Amino acid sequence: MTRSMTRSLGLLAIALFSALLLLAQAPTPAAPPPNPANQATLRAANGDHVITVAHQNGQTYFAADEVMAALGGSITHEGNGFKASLSNTVAAFGTDSRFGVVKDELIEMPVAPVTIDNRPFVPWQFFQGFLIRASALDVTWDPAGRVLQVHPAQTTAVAVQVSVANVQGISKVVLTLTAPADYTIVKETGAYTVRFRSGIRAPYVEQAHDDPYVAKTSFIGNDLRIQLTAPDVVGDAYRLENPFRIVLDLRKGAASGPGTPQPLTSTKPVESPGIHTIVIDPGHGGKEVGAIGPAGLMEKDATLTLCRRLAAALEAKLKTRVILTRNDDVVVPLDQRTAIANQYHADLFLSVHMNAALVKGAHGAETYFLSLDASDKLAEKAAEVENAAKNSAAPASSSDLKLMLWDLAQQEYLNESNRLAQAVQEEMNRITGIQSRGVKQAPFKVLVGATMPAALVEVAFITNPDEELKIKSDAFQATVVEALTKAVERYKIDYETRIGIAQPPPAPAAPTTTAPTAPTTTTKAATTRTGT
Amino acid sequence: MRRAVVLSLAILAIAGGCKKRALTQNLNVENKVEVRPVTLFFEGPEMLLVRETRNVALPENHGGALSIVARELIKGSANAGVPPIFPRDTVVRAAFLLPDGTAFVDLGGTTLSHGWGTGSHEELMAVYSVVQTVTTNFPEAKRVRILVNDEPAETLAGHVSLSRALAPMPVFVAR
Repeated sequence: MTRSMTRSLGLLAIALFSALLLLAQAPTPAAPPPNPANQATLRAANGDHVITVAHQNGQTYFAADEVMAALGGSITHEGNGFKASLSNTVAAFGTDSRFGVVKDELIEMPVAPVTIDNRPFVPWQFFQGFLIRASALDVTWDPAGRVLQVHPAQTTAVAVQVSVANVQGISKVVLTLTAPADYTIVKETGAYTVRFRSGIRAPYVEQAHDDPYVAKTSFIGNDLRIQLTAPDVVGDAYRLENPFRIVLDLRKGAASGPGTPQPLTSTKPVESPGIHTIVIDPGHGGKEVGAIGPAGLMEKDATLTLCRRLAAALEAKLKTRVILTRNDDVVVPLDQRTAIANQYHADLFLSVHMNAALVKGAHGAETYFLSLDASDKLAEKAAEVENAAKNSAAPASSSDLKLMLWDLAQQEYLNESNRLAQAVQEEMNRITGIQSRGVKQAPFKVLVGATMPAALVEVAFITNPDEELKIKSDAFQATVVEALTKAVERYKIDYETRIGIAQPPPAPAAPTTTAPTAPTTTTKAATTRTGT
Repeated sequence: MRRAVVLSLAILAIAGGCKKRALTQNLNVENKVEVRPVTLFFEGPEMLLVRETRNVALPENHGGALSIVARELIKGSANAGVPPIFPRDTVVRAAFLLPDGTAFVDLGGTTLSHGWGTGSHEELMAVYSVVQTVTTNFPEAKRVRILVNDEPAETLAGHVSLSRALAPMPVFVAR
């Protein structure tokens, strides 16, 4: 190589280096280039990822395999559908349905997923439904910025909706939340404050209500203040699930004096163990008429008539507090019926129905308690929560633990429910003479959620003309009331004997022994029958 | 300015180099239709579910077959003496099977949409006739979730909880 050639190459290198330097010093564009229409950014704890999206009929779909891979999970094709896996949680979905399934719960999407080049594309709501259950993560989609954001659910503000309605003299304040949340309720003079432990998204700052007991509700930070119309308004609180709701029942009561705020926790007075409060549930009501007999008798009317008589008989005979879930021809949602029983800390729940069958001549009584299938699922769910708590570095939230205890409580009462159902069926058969169709188990909605022994009795077949006539007759109603009262009394004595607070009933052939007084007339003097 | 043009051209070149992904739906697999016996469950005189076998033309595709079997059930028994277990205006809107073994049967019709007034026994028979029919004819279906009008339903008539997928209960089937 000649010296002139070397010099030329050196000059060329310098020129190239200078050009590169100039390029490097060039001002950067004012904003990054926007994502192409078929891309979006997945923003997660491990960074940003570019993901493929598709648009069909105005709906945006996200490449499920890319999103799951970016989050450390996977998608597999199985049968006619797909499975998404993350943190040992599996969700199933298919292109036929806008519903997916995770842990036996539905993931609702606005439209069904689609496949594109054999790859599943899903609406973003799929990830929202799945990740909250798999990893306690929440997902939001910003269509303007084209960012799918995944963040811990705990830091997400839970949206709260408030409704206030006065039903039969009780003002119900229902707070519907988008997710379960920890809270405490504090009673102050003339107000209740619901104090959430995590962030909430309020629907408004302050709202006045045209209600006898609730003057206004206002949000201050994570507190919801319920301003009462008078200082002597008192309340009970309980919660419902799916969706998560906090319910305050407010009514006129004894004036509470000013002073230290008191937590609002329970309607149950301090009392000894045993059967003190019984909830009787007349089936159906209002527009939910139930079965109709050939002569036109409606199940909702027959159950209400019978239950009113039964409540009076139980109060008179057992001296217990008896609460009817309805005392009028009104609709009471099924989950509210057991919620009423739970709210009053009832010791026993009995739902009364009339049966219907296609088979002509169907007759007899049968008694149900919650089916094993449903209880198995509860046990499974409880075990899942327990395992998750054990395996997780983070402690289970107190909401989770409360839910677990709630479920376990239902499981615990199944054996007692069986005993109650047996007593009901045997006494119905013995006293009314009606054919016994036995004790059975079924996943009846009105029994799910009862945290006490609970049974449902089908008194007779209203679709059978003979039994419809019987149901109408005063004499038959009297024998049914006698049978059910006897069954509850029998269960009460049996239960209280087993837990050691009562003596077994005296044996008839023991004249030399002093018969112990039956405890059933000495337990509790509260005899208020409350229609709710 | 010149640099900006060069950069834009480079971006276009990169974009042009990518093959545009065709947004095409999967075509359904070939639907071979074959006449096969299916087992349907109706309420018998003993007030339990009894089997009835019927030859039905079914596609190999399970999703399609499931809908047809569910529709056969809702049609009612071939025996004129056996009354239909569901209200006469009931329709099967859709049925499908998810890979975890949950089958969905979406029902509709005026009566179910506006409140079916019937008793526990009849509702149990109706719900479990669906559960039993689906799980018997499609062994990969372990549980059945019943929807009404494409929405999760609390019950059909105020008794049997539909908030979870239901497993078969042999106690409701005649031996």
